Amino acid sequence: MASSLTVNNIDGGYGSVRVLHDLSITVDFGETVVLLGSNGNGKSTLLKCITGLIKPDRGEIILNVDGEKTDLVGKTPEEVVTAGISMVPEGRRLFPALTVEENLYLGAYRKFARKKISENLDFVYEIFPRLKERRNQLAGSMSGGEQQMVAVARGIMSDPTILLVDEPSVGLAPNLVSHMIGKIRELKEKKNLTVLMAEQNFNQAIKIADRGYIIVHGEIEFTAASADELANNEMIKQYYLGV
Amino acid sequence: MIELFINAVVAGVLLGGFYAAVALGLSIVFGRLDIVNIAHPAFVIIGSYMAFYVNENFGLDPIVTSFLFLPVFFLLGIVMYRFYYVCFERTGQESLSGLAYFFGIMFIIEVLIILVYGVDYRNVQAPYIGHSLWINDWIPLGDFRVSLPYRMLVPFVVAAVVTGGVYLYLSKTYLGRAILAVSQDRVALQLMGANPIKVKQWAFGIAIATAAIAGALLIVIHPVEPSVGRLYIGRVFAIVILGGMGSISGTFFAALMIGIAETLISTFIGPSWAPAAAYGILLVTLAVRPQGLFGRA
Ligand SMILES: Nc1ncnc2c1ncn2[C@@H]1O[C@H](COP(=O)(O)OP(=O)(O)O)[C@@H](O)[C@H]1O
Ligand SMILES: [Mg+2]
Repeated sequence: MASSLTVNNIDGGYGSVRVLHDLSITVDFGETVVLLGSNGNGKSTLLKCITGLIKPDRGEIILNVDGEKTDLVGKTPEEVVTAGISMVPEGRRLFPALTVEENLYLGAYRKFARKKISENLDFVYEIFPRLKERRNQLAGSMSGGEQQMVAVARGIMSDPTILLVDEPSVGLAPNLVSHMIGKIRELKEKKNLTVLMAEQNFNQAIKIADRGYIIVHGEIEFTAASADELANNEMIKQYYLGV
Repeated sequence: MIELFINAVVAGVLLGGFYAAVALGLSIVFGRLDIVNIAHPAFVIIGSYMAFYVNENFGLDPIVTSFLFLPVFFLLGIVMYRFYYVCFERTGQESLSGLAYFFGIMFIIEVLIILVYGVDYRNVQAPYIGHSLWINDWIPLGDFRVSLPYRMLVPFVVAAVVTGGVYLYLSKTYLGRAILAVSQDRVALQLMGANPIKVKQWAFGIAIATAAIAGALLIVIHPVEPSVGRLYIGRVFAIVILGGMGSISGTFFAALMIGIAETLISTFIGPSWAPAAAYGILLVTLAVRPQGLFGRA
């Protein structure tokens, strides 16, 4: 299935606090698009709008699956998952008192994913052999890096066509960050996913990005048509590289 | 002396099985959903009176009756949760108002039963009540006489089977796992494609359905009057906490432990001390192991 996502002119936030202002992005089929921005600029808020956790006040979020378009605004998170969009949330949000495998099983909650559960479980265990070794361990007792693996693997268990990943690098040691970013690329390629990843870690994110956006105070400040454009952007140099 | 001890332990295990049946639903609702349903034992009493009514009028076995009425209790649980959700949980007032809600339900149930049946003790007829299984007939124990009254043995077996069934349901089905997860992170559960409210509602339905069975077991064990459920409130909450808050197997073993402690205390110290067993064990346990005896972490 060829899925793509188009966010058109959304305003959104929390109650009367408006965080996103007239924001538009697109994620085409097969792309890895990164959403770069430092803390508090609205990356997570945008991802929450897409997954239905919060409803934008204005605008549309069009999911295009093989030419069939649906507006996701007003859909519940359950419906969005069922439509094939899976999110690896910020801070991992595992079920700490359940085992690794129980967490993965829960990832496959939606009907469509249940049919492919054994195939997908084998797949994520192949990508993350560590999780297979630790499958009966409580998720809450794992290291940060392992927990992030569980979170990503659980996202794959929903058998998505579009994967949203919110700051997978947070709280990880530098070598683990590049491992994790590499795994996201590997998953994307093996599963033919379309990926939208929010990150503040510019140097890592750019390694797998096809394109990207820079979000500042809830607005798209810069649209980069390629990874090179991202890397050579003056604003990024100022913000992230301290040049 | 040893004979007395062995008989007390055996009786304790059987009694504990029944406690497990009462605690099972609370283990789900209190242990997993964090909802303090103090009305749970009152639903057990409804189960007892329903078994009594059908037994008296149609002569049907009380336990069979309870299984026939499972769907009714399941629906009752769903309605009770929906009301709780709409009135309290949704507005974030669940802690204090929620407690008042369940206290009110308990009170209403008691009053309704008193209005219909009065305050007299009621009991049921079943072919196995009043007979015992003598272990000596099966295993040569020498001078010891060990007996298992069927009115205790049958409830124990039913409780063990139902506990096993609920355990398998929660650990092997998608909805069951969602019930285990829902209070840990409801937003994450939504991101998995489950609706937390529906999951909780379903869990409540199952919990109240188990109360129907526990009620039938109760009236098989001894006669029932409308407020007898109150005797169990403290005890079953203690069992759920000892069992590790929501661990089904933990709840079962904690129930057996309380059952054994109570019968030993009744036999060797005096029956009036028995109800203190649960609290005593709970206090000592919480002092040394706050996660309960059988908690996973
Ligand atoms: N639950 C919330 N309620 C109110 N304001 C929030 C909430 N979550 C985030 N915000 C605010 O929204 C803004 C954007 O936050 P967020 O989307 O989390 O940024 P980012 O993911 O880029 O770090 C911040 O100013 C933050 O304080
Ligand atoms: Mg964020």
